[in-house]
Amino acid sequence: MVHPRVFAKIVSLASLALLLGHAALAAEPQGLLGTLRRHSIVTSTVPSNGDQNPYALVIAPVSAGKIHKGDVLIDNFNNKDNLQGLGTTIVAYTPSTKQTTLFAAIPRRLPQCPGGIGLTTAMTMLKSGWVIVGSLPSQDGTTRSKGPGCLVILDSQGSVASVIAGPNINGPWGNMAVIDNGSTATLFVSNTGFGVGSPDGSPPVINKATVLRVELSIPDGKPPVVTKETVIASGFGEQADKDVFIIGPTGLALGPGGVLYVSDALGNRIAAIPDAITRQDSAGTGKDVTKDGLLKRPLAMVMAPNGHLLVTNGLNGQVVEIDPETGKQIYARWVDPNKAQSPPGSGDLFGIAMTENGDGFYYVEDEVNMLVMAH
Amino acid sequence: MIAAAGGLLLGAAARPARAAPAPTAEVEPFYGRHQAGILTPQQHHSYFATFDLVAKSRNDIATMMRAWTAAAARLTEGETAQPISENLAMPGGDTGDTLGMQPSRLTITFGFGPGLFVKDGKDRYGLAQHRPEALVDLPAFNGEQLVAGHTGGDISVQACADDPQVAFHAVRQLGRLAYDVAQIRWTQAGFLANFPAAETPRNLMGFKDGTRNPTQTPAPGRKSIEEVVWVGKEGPPWMQGGSYLVARRIRIALEHWDRTEVDFQQQVVGRSKYSGAPLGGKEEFESPNFDRVDSDGNPVIPETAHIRLGASELNGGAEIFRRAYSYNNGSNFTAERWPPWRQGIEYDAGLFFLAYQSDPRNGFIRIFENMSKLDAMNQYTTHVGSGLFACPGGTPKGRYCGQALLES
Repeated sequence: MVHPRVFAKIVSLASLALLLGHAALAAEPQGLLGTLRRHSIVTSTVPSNGDQNPYALVIAPVSAGKIHKGDVLIDNFNNKDNLQGLGTTIVAYTPSTKQTTLFAAIPRRLPQCPGGIGLTTAMTMLKSGWVIVGSLPSQDGTTRSKGPGCLVILDSQGSVASVIAGPNINGPWGNMAVIDNGSTATLFVSNTGFGVGSPDGSPPVINKATVLRVELSIPDGKPPVVTKETVIASGFGEQADKDVFIIGPTGLALGPGGVLYVSDALGNRIAAIPDAITRQDSAGTGKDVTKDGLLKRPLAMVMAPNGHLLVTNGLNGQVVEIDPETGKQIYARWVDPNKAQSPPGSGDLFGIAMTENGDGFYYVEDEVNMLVMAH
Repeated sequence: MIAAAGGLLLGAAARPARAAPAPTAEVEPFYGRHQAGILTPQQHHSYFATFDLVAKSRNDIATMMRAWTAAAARLTEGETAQPISENLAMPGGDTGDTLGMQPSRLTITFGFGPGLFVKDGKDRYGLAQHRPEALVDLPAFNGEQLVAGHTGGDISVQACADDPQVAFHAVRQLGRLAYDVAQIRWTQAGFLANFPAAETPRNLMGFKDGTRNPTQTPAPGRKSIEEVVWVGKEGPPWMQGGSYLVARRIRIALEHWDRTEVDFQQQVVGRSKYSGAPLGGKEEFESPNFDRVDSDGNPVIPETAHIRLGASELNGGAEIFRRAYSYNNGSNFTAERWPPWRQGIEYDAGLFFLAYQSDPRNGFIRIFENMSKLDAMNQYTTHVGSGLFACPGGTPKGRYCGQALLES
């Protein structure tokens, strides 16, 4: 548990964040970000095996097995030696008890998962209790030794039940968008591993990243089974990076009318994929919703109850709020103003998830392995 | 003959262009109620080594400790480890590299690691039943990246002196006396800058380090240094008057630190960099006011500041006595473990943290469990080596260090 004395510090950071937020965009508070006042450290995300670098955040939609409804599931991309692509654990934070427990420790090597396990931002929990998490594994902490990875299906006790792999899956990376109908579900997953090689020298940008739609059937009491896979977007930039492992499309969020929004990290833009639920072909890299401005390498993304997109920046500690209807960048909030990085918070943010009641959001601070709540 | 050889060396190329200050002739006695090198005023250099025991019997260890004790007592007096023989057809009784030098306040402090008692589940020397409860296996701490080759050891030897060669020389002689009984596992040299006596030394981060160390005249509510350090009647007889040493090699990402604003450095530490005063205070030695808040109600000393997380009053009274040295092992490739995950050739330098306490469970472990998770300084520091050693009480003349244990 995090010591309660931490909270006041976060208030202090929040004060700074407000100042910086105003400086970044001289406007009255608007949208969701403008209404938030506090950033509270919630918990350390490091499990007993020492895994580091929290990535994905998922709010449990139901209680099942070890998980309580409203729990925050957090996975780790790095192992205890801080090698990227070797993290194997998922922890669960239960808001009602303020306890953080280990939900799953996946074997480092799973024969069905090419390359092994290094858990990414691609994670979801279905109403049926199954947890699905992406792996983009490495052997040495760089893309030099990466494998294509897979999607691992865990039961609600955290045990591996099944694995989804195949030619359409290579580095399932970004946060998933999901339609969950109970007995069926549709996942949207970005893949950033196709053709990516060593990070040595000046690795090229490769325009082979995809968004894959995975349709699942979920028989009673049995793990989900893939019924169809469709590449609905492709040609996004992806790049090996010796510091941050890989850069590619990371945030996925479904909007009204079946539009899927994609944060295109290298393009520094948010793209819209029309008819994402039904289309049978690739929409390429989609249409620009917004580009540059407050975006600084956009990563994970969620849709807030007000219909706006919240996206974390990779190159500073800001979250940006966007109205996808107009493409307007409404506000940027400095949720991580840590000056140990320059610009403050650079490289610290990744996963983001709305709180259960939608009045705030959780995010991770990778530099200190913490789950934080903005509210 | 020996003197002539020494004179030749000093008279020729080895003589420095300008005479360095003469090392002190002062002697720190080896024998006494407590081991020297713990509360001894800190010397400027240290050489630390841990050994793995390969002895076949407990008796072999006792023989070695007897020889080590005799050698240590001689060395601290400024003598050779063993008498020098005139027979040149055999290795010398001393390597000779400090001939003609002063004692330089040399101290040699011995410690016993868990492996003396039990190793890989085996009670090799029939000592398992004597392992003190306080000599625990240190738990895994958040963020540490311990290298096996820089961690653990069955016996520790800490040599401190005001001259680096005297310190290294001492460990080297003991190593020679341990052949076939114990072999070196890892070593670490350290240095403490020669600040004026009235100044608290600064570490490589540029901050004063040790301001709040326990003293003989503690502030109200704090323990005296003796209470903090020495094992009392709660420990086994051979540990009474002894202490537990936690050694941690802490690599500091100096390049990362050097790019950080001084103001943020101060927030990380909780002190003014230049005056050493706690944030919100004026004088270095005033007690930090952890309750002070600014006009917005935020704590003046941040909740994640190093001095707050290490403060005894906020750790259930837990205290340790730090006797750390800076270290500098050159430079090598490293991958920083914080954004922006800088990689490349960086200084392999930092703090060789050495802390003494009467019980590590109520000392270092109690403090660092929380600190390893929350300290803002963790964005700059990585623990890469570690060890816990039970340093027995002092040795009376006529006995050898650890005798009460090894002959129990």
